[in-house]
Order: sequence, then C-alpha cells, then structure tokens
Amino acid sequence: MFRRLLIANRGEIAVRIIRACRELGVESVAVYSDADARALHVALADRVVRIGPAAPLHSYLSTDAILGAARESGAEAVHPGYGFLAESHTFAAACTDAGLTFVGPPADVIARLGSKIAARQAATRAGIPVVPGETPADQRDVTIADAARRIGFPVLIKPSEGGGGIGMKTVRDAASLPAAIAQARREAAAAFGDGTLYVERLIERPRHVEVQVLLDRHGHAVHLFERECSLQRRHQKIVEEAPSTALTPRLRARMGDAAVTLARSAGYLNAGTVEFLLEGAGDTARFYFLEMNTRLQVEHPVTELTTGVDIVRAQIAIAAGEPLPWSQDDLTQRGHAIEARVYAEDPSRNDLPQAGSLLLYREPTMPGVRVDSGVVEGSDISVHYDPLIAKLIAWADTREGARARAIAALRSYPVLGVRTNIAFLIALLEHPAFVSGDIDTGLVESQRAALLTSATGDPPPEAIAVATHASGSAGPLDSASSTSADPWTTLQGWRG
Amino acid sequence: MAEFEVTALGAGRYRVSDGTRQRLAYAAGPPHARWVFIDGHVYVIDVSGNRDSHTRRAHDDDMALASPMPATVASIHVSEGQAVSQGDLLVMLEAMKMELPIKAPRNGIVKAVACARGELVQPGVPLVELD
Repeated sequence: MFRRLLIANRGEIAVRIIRACRELGVESVAVYSDADARALHVALADRVVRIGPAAPLHSYLSTDAILGAARESGAEAVHPGYGFLAESHTFAAACTDAGLTFVGPPADVIARLGSKIAARQAATRAGIPVVPGETPADQRDVTIADAARRIGFPVLIKPSEGGGGIGMKTVRDAASLPAAIAQARREAAAAFGDGTLYVERLIERPRHVEVQVLLDRHGHAVHLFERECSLQRRHQKIVEEAPSTALTPRLRARMGDAAVTLARSAGYLNAGTVEFLLEGAGDTARFYFLEMNTRLQVEHPVTELTTGVDIVRAQIAIAAGEPLPWSQDDLTQRGHAIEARVYAEDPSRNDLPQAGSLLLYREPTMPGVRVDSGVVEGSDISVHYDPLIAKLIAWADTREGARARAIAALRSYPVLGVRTNIAFLIALLEHPAFVSGDIDTGLVESQRAALLTSATGDPPPEAIAVATHASGSAGPLDSASSTSADPWTTLQGWRG
Repeated sequence: MAEFEVTALGAGRYRVSDGTRQRLAYAAGPPHARWVFIDGHVYVIDVSGNRDSHTRRAHDDDMALASPMPATVASIHVSEGQAVSQGDLLVMLEAMKMELPIKAPRNGIVKAVACARGELVQPGVPLVELD
C-alpha cells in the first residue's frame, strides 16, 4: 500500500478520498488554490500544498502545479477524483512519467475511450450494441434518405459536426424526409460551416442506465450492477438511484456482462463506468452503449450503499496492485439507494449558480442517510468551481423507504445564505412519475414548471413569524460580522 | 394572520408553534434579507421595517440591476436617457460560461449606466440606474 497519496481535486470528492486514505492508513495530501485556503478538504488532509490562484487553469487544471506538489510532499500516488484532470490522458501519462501511480486506468486506455468515435468502435468490436447511426459518405439527399430507411424510423438527422441540438430534426416517416434533410443541411451549414449530416435512430423516452465495473491487475473483473441516472437537468444528473426500476434480473445480467466485456476488451483497469441508453423496460428492453467514463463517478455512493463495496478504497487498493477480494458471485445488490445532488443554484432563475457564505449549514443525521459534502457552516461557495455543495444519499430496504428517507432528510437540511435546489429536489422526489419509477431523461425538463411551483412560493406565516422574532431577539445579524464563531450562541437566552 | 409562538433555541434554531402543532425552523442573516428555513423550504424575508415605497423600490432595483455573482460585462444594450419597458434587456453578463441577462425590473428611464463592456463586475453593485 502507498505511504502517501495526493488528491488532485477539491470539494466533496477530495473529502471523500481523504476519508478512504485515513481508513487505509495512507497519508493524504490535499492541494488547494487561493480560493480554497480555508476549505474543508484542506483542513482534513494530513499535508497540504498550495498550487496556485483561484482560476482552475492555473491550479486544479495545472499538471505542472500538481506534479510539483506531489514532488514537494513526497506522494507516491495521485487520485484525480472526477472532473478537472480526471479524464486527461496527458495528465495520467505525466504522473506515470514522474514515477507516480495514477489511481485510474492506463493513459492510453483513457485516450482511446475518451474519443467518442473510438469508444463506439471498441464497443462494436466487443459485440456491444450502439445506437444505430451513420454519416453517409455520399451526402446526396437520396443517399441520406436511404440511410434513414435502413436505420429505421423514427430517426434523428443532425449535423455531423454539431452539438447542442442545433439543426437536429426528428423524422417519423419517409414522407417527411426530403423537407427535414433540406432544413437540417441548411442549419448545419449556417451553424457549423459544414452541411454534412449524420443519421441516427431516435431512442424515444430513453433512460440513462450505467454499470460500475472494477478491474484489477491480476485479470479479475467484476461489475457492481447498475445506477439509474435518468433524472437530469441541462444534461446534468441531479437524482440517481440503484437499482433501476426498469431492469429485470436477466436484463441486469446482460448489461453487466456487456460492461465487463467492453472493459476487458479495452484493456481497462481500476474503477470505470459504462453508460447505456435504455429503450423500454424489462426483458424486452434494448440497451445501447453511450460512452465509458474512465474515472470515479459523482453518484458512486448509491452503488456503495447497495453493494457494501467502498469504491474509492477499491480504487486505491487496485492502484497499489492488490487483487479484487471478491468474485462476481460474491456481489449482490441489497435494498435501494437514492442520491440527491444539492447544488448552490437558483431553480427559479434557470439554475443559475449561486455564490456566497453559508450563514447556517446543518447536515441531517438519521438512520440510512449519508451526506458527502465539502463544506461546513461558514464556508464560502465560490464562483470559480462547480456549485455542488453536497450529495445526500438515502438507503432503505425498499425504493419507497429510500424515497421517504431522502425526502425526510432534505426537509431537515437547512442551508442558509446561498440559494440551493433542495426544495426542487423534494418536489422531484414527490413527483408522481418518480414515485411510480416511470422516468426518462426528459422528465425534469418536461415537468419543470410543476416542480418549480411546488418548490417556490411566498413565505408562509410561520416563516414570517420566525423572521420577525429572530429580528427582535437577536438584532441585526450582519453576515459580514460572522468572524465571531457563532453569533447566535452568544445571544442565547435573550428571550424565550 | 394566525398567531404563532416562536421560541429561540440558540444557534439559529427556533421552535414555531400554532398552539397545537410545532416545527423546528432555522434563521440567519441581516434584517433586510433574513433567511428562514422551514420544512425543506427557504425564504428570504425583509424584516428591516423599511416599508416606505421609495426605499423599497430602490432596494428592489438594486437587487434586479446587479449581477448575482462576479461576472464579465459582455454587452450593454441601453444608454443614458433611454426609456425602457419591463423585461427589456439592459446588460448581458457572462459568468461560468453562461449568459446572464440583466433585464429592466419595471418601466423607466435609464439614469446612468454604471459599467463598461469587458468590465469584471461584483455582485450587489447595480449596473444600471433607473429614474
């Protein structure tokens, strides 16, 4: 095992990795930018190294700064967390070249799977279905129409250079093809300077279901079952769960096998996630390879709670050369876990990220509830980084039990001073579609108005009574004067 | 309004009761923006007593016409003396790779433009003044 490990990250995931290090008896080295000098991950680590100014490009994204910190601290390994440099094959290679163990797959595997086209080819070679689609070499309208008929309706016609949904046309029958092709071509040429079109099968109401895999250096490979990640806003997940309500044991086994087969054939090592689009549910459902994430996922805790496997600990053990201690048959899913991501953002203003000081911040503690966070009361939420404050994960023996626990915990999670999406998350967990488990990737956006209505509103009389009372008893509580440890404690007993 | 009995429990915690049912609430922040948490919902309430309409409007304007976060001024769409209607785009900001429009909170005349294109602006500072 390593003596000392550097964490090339910040926030809740850096805290999570420090905790795994502590359990393993590995010394942790935190790195920090000027904006994070007082951050929780810096307070918790065994050693700390400043790596630069607030701007990520010159700190958390700087390979030189991080390798310098590893040298200075005598770290033997680097855990990249997620985001920042976690999927940079050049960073992974630089770590190896500097004599450090990169906690993740080999650099060349990251590079290969990081390319959507190469990853799609790797999946096809491994016999894993991908969403049928092609860029016809002959771009005449008739050839594109032929491709659409071959792929099967409904299809999406979209710019091959595109992104962000621009120029994307849904076509449900052959009669609508000519007009759609012409329009897509015009929009593609206008937006991207290239009218080349790509034709793809449209997956209706897809679910996003991913499979966690672990592979060691001794040829062992297992999967830790699936995570259901269909609830997304702006293509970012906000609620995840395990298991998925759409999977049957047979489908689960097929998807798990596909994920392990792909990972093995790609020469993968350590923890990874194979993302699939799922069409339909149950034994007749079809799944298509989407991409492979060559790192730890934000939502890994739902797998940890349902399988009992500490994924971060496993990552470090695998990197240190240890064999996986379980075979596939040893692993089972038990109960149900739901994760809700608490973001500093304002759902009523298009999820605009929020910055400021946490005037009051109290995490709920109750049976079956875990909170992974990178903040404490008084922490500053900075504009420089991802606005994720914490992840609240609830576990119970049934999905309904986990849902009730998650809601109860969110209702006991005061975060004041910075707007968060907590009320929105409660509304989502209470939405009839979520309750029934009949969800897809479009749910949050299609129900946004209804979710906002139940998440926002005028203060009820109780809230006004509390605000007024707090004013009368405590006088002005100026947030700027929060240098005294806890202004409320000193005022205790004034009234009441 | 119904009568509520509020008891300070310390450390920002309050018990609020209607005589039958009680709840635990949390509060923090200055009087003009008192943050209150009850049952998963957060409210920001002005209890400063500044109820006169002029001050209130000035305060509302300040909130609406300032950036909610440090941001860069991408473009300015109005000039001094110009009449604007509620909802008109005044300034486009850019922060965290997102466009952030500052729109007129009400009808009025632009008294001053207090920012320049490319400038880095801080939260809470009004970018445009309305009459």
